[in-house]
Amino acid sequence: MSTPTATALPAGSPTASAAGRALVIGIAGIVLTALGLFVSGAQVVAISWLVGVTYWTAIAIGMLLLVLIHHIVDASWSAAVRRQWELWLGSFKWLALLFAPLVIVSLLGSHDLVWPWMNLAHELHGGHTVGADPLYLKKEGFLSLPMFVGSTAGFFALWIWLSARLRRASVAQDADGDVKWTSINRKTAALGLPLTALSLTFAAIFWVKSLEYHWFSTMYGVWFFSNCVRGALSIGVLIMVWLYRRGDYQGVLNTNHFHSIGQLMLAFTVFWAYVTFSQYFLIWNANVPEETFWYNLREVNADGTPNQWKYVGIVVILFGHFVVPFCLLLSYRYKVTQHIIRRIALWILAVIFFDICYNVLPALKDAHGNALPLFSINLLWSITAVVGVGGVCVWSYLRNFPTAKLIPIRDPRIIESLTHHE
Amino acid sequence: MAAQSFGLIATFDKTPDVYRAAEKVRDAGYRHWDVITPFPVHGLDKAMGLKRSIVPRISLAGGITGLVTGMTLVWWTGAVENPLIVGGKPMFSPIFAFPVSYELAILFTAFATIIGMFVVNGLPMHYHPVLKYDHIRRGMDDTFYIVIEARDPRFNLANTKALLAQAGGRDIQELEA
Repeated sequence: MSTPTATALPAGSPTASAAGRALVIGIAGIVLTALGLFVSGAQVVAISWLVGVTYWTAIAIGMLLLVLIHHIVDASWSAAVRRQWELWLGSFKWLALLFAPLVIVSLLGSHDLVWPWMNLAHELHGGHTVGADPLYLKKEGFLSLPMFVGSTAGFFALWIWLSARLRRASVAQDADGDVKWTSINRKTAALGLPLTALSLTFAAIFWVKSLEYHWFSTMYGVWFFSNCVRGALSIGVLIMVWLYRRGDYQGVLNTNHFHSIGQLMLAFTVFWAYVTFSQYFLIWNANVPEETFWYNLREVNADGTPNQWKYVGIVVILFGHFVVPFCLLLSYRYKVTQHIIRRIALWILAVIFFDICYNVLPALKDAHGNALPLFSINLLWSITAVVGVGGVCVWSYLRNFPTAKLIPIRDPRIIESLTHHE
Repeated sequence: MAAQSFGLIATFDKTPDVYRAAEKVRDAGYRHWDVITPFPVHGLDKAMGLKRSIVPRISLAGGITGLVTGMTLVWWTGAVENPLIVGGKPMFSPIFAFPVSYELAILFTAFATIIGMFVVNGLPMHYHPVLKYDHIRRGMDDTFYIVIEARDPRFNLANTKALLAQAGGRDIQELEA
């Protein structure tokens, strides 16, 4: 074991220019997405923007969960990488800002640009309006504009508060080494975990599931949770490999850290598959129209012909999101070989994007009520939105990077983490 | 008549000593040998040149067997032996066969892992020649031992004894089989 030598990097270090580049990429993505307004119209761009913001918010929530779980189980191996997760959490305030346009357009005009239930006069396929829809009236106590705006603001406030609190205690410990900060964070985790679990569930229901408000699924929050954690673990791997190659993590991390995070990636791959399959299986088995329509929309057109989403579901969701990463992550060698685990992480980040698309984009329908296909010019705006929001998140992380020490040097578990073994 | 020899045992007093001695025995090319320690010594597997266990492969084989067994069971019973329409579903679909199949995959993986671990470790083992060694109990307390077996192709009583002595071992003795 060599002594960790990293301290706060001086301003003007390579991360400052990298942060600048990330911000440029982010702004370029946002500007390109805005140009989509003139090509594909406001609704397509708004829903594509929802894909981008949801994707990176999911990853930030996942990071928050990883830090909370680290504290609640008093983990040792992750102490050395936890600081970088804490720094990533600074992206919440920017995500809140980037989410704001969706709230603003919902408060303006006819309110139903993104979420149809926000306008009681919104015409449904078949001639009824939302206001006369029994399935809406049963859910109107929950699905109302004030509830939506209040909850979204409240969720972001909660995540920002928890993140700041966790980070403040962790950084304060660097200075004085007092164990009380560890126990403060453990208490924050005990309070924060159930609150985060509930808030991410309701956020997934409000933002994504309510695009098809007729639908029922008790698995939805858990599906979102598993994507949150898978995305966060993948970003965690990218940061670990990046800092190792840069030299910061040399002598800090060993193969067992990569093995441990790889094991969690495998576990959450299986968990994601369990949840996603259970949702599909129960709906398939019960065969109730109020539930099956959601999958029908993603499988067949109104005239019974299969649509593009069917193949997206089989190839990208079943094989890409589960079978491929599962088989690769079974291997010990792949988990501990940095360039391989890094590629698996990039793969998982790509398929999470398609999973979010699969859940969001079929809200865009043609005149016959069929889901618009995935592969069209519309996909471009989802990609630019993800690049745009992602650029801002990466900028926020790199900007925070020099403000704190590389690892929590006085964490009671740090020696255990530096000598992590199987 | 002298009993058949099992091998040589050497005593070490400190963890770093036995660790470095293990590296020397490894580098000398021995295969049939072992280190006895009172507690787990991290990194000793590397010092001994041990490869990763093959148990995960046995587990994977068990899992695949379980998955295939489950699918075959549901397909055979529901679509071949006694075709019966349940809930308007097809006679066979991997969707409804999946819960049974993956439960069996998990069960067979667990069996394969436990049985594989026992077989690979040669368990249950009720007798081992080192148990005859008078001081072996200290191997559960504060002393370390290296045992090199006579069946190792490189084993040579004089040379192996010299290697263990040069590696820092004391009380080098021959063990009866």
